[in-house]
Amino acid sequence: MNDAAPLILLIEDDSQTRRFLKTSLANRGWRIAEADCAKSGLALLKSEQPDCVILDLGLPDMDGIAVARRLRQLSDLPVLVLSARSQEQNKIMALDAGADDYLTKPFGSGELHARLQALLRRVARSIAASETFETGQLKIDLARRKVFIAGNEVRITPIEFRLLGILVRHAGLVVTHRQLLGEVWGAEHIHDQHYLRIYMGQLRHKLEVNPARPRYLLTEVGVGYRLAADGS
Amino acid sequence: MLGSRRWQSHAGPEARLPARTRRERFIGYVCGIAAPFICTLAAWPLRSILEPASILMSYMLGVFLVASRYGRGASLTASLLSPPVFAYYFAPPIFSFAISDLENIVGLAIMIVVASLTSNLLDRARSQAEIARQRENRANALYRLSRALSDAQSREAIAALAAERIRDEFGAEAVIVPADENRRLPVAIAEVGPGFDAEAARQAFAANSTRHSQGAAYYPLAGSQTVFGVLLVRAEPSSRLAHPEALALFETFRNLVGQALERLYLAERAREAGLQVQAEALRNALLSAISHDLRTPLTRISGAAGALIDNADRLSAAERQEFYRAVFDEAQRMAELTSKILDMARLSSGEITLHCEWNALEEIVGSALTRLDKALRERPVRTQIPDRLPLLWVDAVLFEQVLANLIENAIKYTPPGSPIDIGAELAADGLQLTVTDYGAGIPDGMQQKIFDKFYRLSGETEHGGVGLGLALCRTIIAAHGGRIRATNVAGKGAAFIIDLPLREPPALDWGETVESGG
Repeated sequence: MNDAAPLILLIEDDSQTRRFLKTSLANRGWRIAEADCAKSGLALLKSEQPDCVILDLGLPDMDGIAVARRLRQLSDLPVLVLSARSQEQNKIMALDAGADDYLTKPFGSGELHARLQALLRRVARSIAASETFETGQLKIDLARRKVFIAGNEVRITPIEFRLLGILVRHAGLVVTHRQLLGEVWGAEHIHDQHYLRIYMGQLRHKLEVNPARPRYLLTEVGVGYRLAADGS
Repeated sequence: MLGSRRWQSHAGPEARLPARTRRERFIGYVCGIAAPFICTLAAWPLRSILEPASILMSYMLGVFLVASRYGRGASLTASLLSPPVFAYYFAPPIFSFAISDLENIVGLAIMIVVASLTSNLLDRARSQAEIARQRENRANALYRLSRALSDAQSREAIAALAAERIRDEFGAEAVIVPADENRRLPVAIAEVGPGFDAEAARQAFAANSTRHSQGAAYYPLAGSQTVFGVLLVRAEPSSRLAHPEALALFETFRNLVGQALERLYLAERAREAGLQVQAEALRNALLSAISHDLRTPLTRISGAAGALIDNADRLSAAERQEFYRAVFDEAQRMAELTSKILDMARLSSGEITLHCEWNALEEIVGSALTRLDKALRERPVRTQIPDRLPLLWVDAVLFEQVLANLIENAIKYTPPGSPIDIGAELAADGLQLTVTDYGAGIPDGMQQKIFDKFYRLSGETEHGGVGLGLALCRTIIAAHGGRIRATNVAGKGAAFIIDLPLREPPALDWGETVESGG
């Protein structure tokens, strides 16, 4: 075991799932600390100083959303929540409570690996400030506020650029509707979904070859948007 | 006379001439008396050119006209009065009642016989026309009632419509209190109308016999076996119910209403029984679907995993990989099946409420395509969504599920590599969304059936569907107030068409101007 490898705190009550996650993550070079309930998970958060947390929403001793909120209060660590399908509402509540992304069970280990990488990249990026973001043909120059597709500049309105900026900051991760509406239009507009639909539609028409089959600006139906990042 | 008796016996007691009013009778007799004198005045100037026998004919005409208008009594008066008047003014010696001529005596005798015969005949014709009119009225009244009853879909509707018909046909105040679905009279019966006696109504209902109380009558409304309600009637002496001939019609009315209430009761019972049978059939279908569709992947998983455990050393690396892959694939399939079964169970139990928001169709289509990216790798997908489409007020998660199910279906039932078209357009009454494939299409007569729960086209088991995908689509679209149907498109394959009503999206009142063209 290499001390430089990132340490992941895994809070999951099912021992079989823990075992499979531990094996596949260890094979990809991550280190794991395990907890089978919220209480021991929160205790390990202090003692082990992990780099990232994987949190199952269905824990026996505490409501998953409350755990997500508590984790956010205790640290700035990236949190990935695991949820069963058909719990959209829980998922969104966990994201709004401070979780950074989610995976729906069942999922493959490749998907999990990609999400963890995106989470850690976000942490790294927030340390190194202004830069350019690139994925596929899309290049975003955050400092000069310019957007290019295959080297050609695309004209973007200020609001569109603010939306894009938030998505770039969370590249590879989901950003909820509430978060985008709150940051771009203000807290009083967090329910005005139609603003978001129209501006995201415009952005897609500018940036995507086929807006109905996007490569960059992905929709997480019922949750939010995700800017595709290399490797995710 | 024989004919007249036969007619009476089968026409019943109501088939009588209505009594003439006193005024009508008085006018009749005045005319009967006046007619001979009018005939005399008319014939007087002609007495020199006409024979007395011809003049006699004018009296016949007078009697006949009176008979046709005022009936037997008046015509008899006229025919009895005519001979003396004729004898006095025309038969020689005139201005005397004596008649010298034998010819005139014979003429007068014939006239009296003919006049009495014709007045009889006319009277009968008149009364038969009157009977026919009454019968027609009665048939019309019954027709109106039975039509009103056949339109009624609830006890309350039957009660209201029948009471209205009774008020119209008989001019009596009427209220109907239907028994409830357990065949009990409602407790609040006293509130049905002022002055009605709830206790008498209850007694009439319990004893299945008519009660009279406080100037009102309480009739039980019985079907073939038991009582289904009570009719409360208050009739003024001037109402048509006071006529004895209306009573038989009234009784028929009551029977019809009782039968209508009974029919509704039996239909409700049958529907309940039918629902139970349906629920039972659904449960059985669900059990067999689960046992087959979940057991198959389970058998494969445990078989492959067992082989890996038992023969770990003897298997080649390639064989092991194959078994691992089988376990993984089958588990994925099971996960998909279970979530569909759970979705359907939650949707049909009404547990899911729609979380509608303003959504862009393009986005939902894009999300469904992204979700199915792997399965669509070898497929050209052609989307045709107009740029200026209004936002849709839908539950995006469920709506994406509908699109994903339709696209998955197209993948399952068409040859690998064949294209899939997704198109949307504005129609007169909303949005029309179409998913078209290039396969064999849907067999004739199956276009409706494929939306039924657990319905599968023959040989479909090999595709691993559980027969819920399209049923889910229909349930979700119906919850959005829309419609989904399937059809075949010549030169292509199957087309699934969704019609969705549109709502006016809110205006943007903050931000920058939305750019046109996009």
